[in-house]
Amino acid sequence: MFSQMLQAGLYDFFFVFIFFIVSLALPVVMVALNSLIGPNYRGKRRGETYESGVAPIRTAWIQFGASYYLFALIFLAFDVDVLYLFPVLLSYQRGTGFAELVELFIFLFIISLAIVYAWRKGVFQWR
Amino acid sequence: MNMTQLPIIKDVYGFLGPDLMACVTGLLLILMFVPLNSAFLVWVERKVAGHIQLRPGPMEVGPHGILQSLIDAVKLMCKEMITPDLADKYLFWIAPCTVVIPAIVCFVVIPFSPIMQVRELNVGILLIFAFSSISGLSILMGGWASNNKYSLIGAVRAVAQSIAYEIPLLLSTMSVIIMSNSLKMSEIVAAQSPVWNFVWQPVAAIIFIICTTAETNRAPFDLVEAESELVSGFHTEYTGMRDALFFMAEYTAMFIGSSMAVVLFFGGWYGPFFSGIFWFVLKAYLLVFVTVWIRWTFPRLRFDQLMNFAWKVLIPISLLNLLVTAIVIKVL
Repeated sequence: MFSQMLQAGLYDFFFVFIFFIVSLALPVVMVALNSLIGPNYRGKRRGETYESGVAPIRTAWIQFGASYYLFALIFLAFDVDVLYLFPVLLSYQRGTGFAELVELFIFLFIISLAIVYAWRKGVFQWR
Repeated sequence: MNMTQLPIIKDVYGFLGPDLMACVTGLLLILMFVPLNSAFLVWVERKVAGHIQLRPGPMEVGPHGILQSLIDAVKLMCKEMITPDLADKYLFWIAPCTVVIPAIVCFVVIPFSPIMQVRELNVGILLIFAFSSISGLSILMGGWASNNKYSLIGAVRAVAQSIAYEIPLLLSTMSVIIMSNSLKMSEIVAAQSPVWNFVWQPVAAIIFIICTTAETNRAPFDLVEAESELVSGFHTEYTGMRDALFFMAEYTAMFIGSSMAVVLFFGGWYGPFFSGIFWFVLKAYLLVFVTVWIRWTFPRLRFDQLMNFAWKVLIPISLLNLLVTAIVIKVL
């Protein structure tokens, strides 16, 4: 099993996994300590939502903010494509000609169109 | 004992050998470093704020109040953890626990010196980016689960802001990667032994620092926790240790962002006279100081200014910077 992991290149990620497990354990320990030490009075008003002393009007789970939604859409159109650049950058200096440069230019041009489109559509004008 | 078990034992030994020792040592050091670092940075923040506003800052506990944040940690430990009645109980618990994950996991790949690195990964920088995005998720979880209007608005702002500033962050990192041809952190540092990348990529470095400031939700980009309008944003309803965990994650993220800037642009462990961990830590804390300095000097942006600055200024400039770098590499 271990030799298979070694061959698969997963060996390095075993250490990341150890850190991940410990980083899950650390806050649990700290919060558990706090709940042991700290007081626990459950008053009537204690569990109320804090809104600067005014009694809250209905819950906060409502629909709002369509502008954020548009930004999320451009992000999806742009950032997911930008991630494809990482392998391109690693092999960029291997070739000798200008082919990589032209390809990179075309790629960046096409994904920039997402921003140009959003700009022309007026997404960046706050209403 | 039959002989077929032997190679497995060898594998296990290879697995639990010196690598694991290094890992456990690093893990213990980091587990000590993360809380102490955030306590120290809270003190630095209050002290710098005090001196910028012509007052001494904390002075009572220890010399120049240096033990103040340790006492504060003890105080937070003794506070009641209140879960609001209307909150989503499970998510309200999970959010502060997950926010610490990037604060610890990102240290796996940070090269403090040629030997002081827990593990060299061939996807080093991508690992940091991938794990850093968890903090945005847990901020959204915490803000939504609180069932508080302030928290919800803060959390939604945090997500909109962190996705907007992630793109120029990635693009400015890419213009370094295209030069050094590697995603390994220590190889990127080793490529800067005569001249720091800052000399070749000043624009990318400045964009990177601006974006890490925005990603860690600090002023002038701290609309997420704008005290004057949102009380304290997404962690309004959190008390005690769970609040402290959010703070710890924020201050550790500051340190990680600064150390990434040191690795990418400021020559990592290299420095005049000798090279080693001293220079790395010194540069990282200098950059942290600059971030604190910026916080107490600049006013807060308006939200549309914040988003437009990312989309209309930073992203076009960083795209151009990447293209110019690509052209220069091919032509020269």
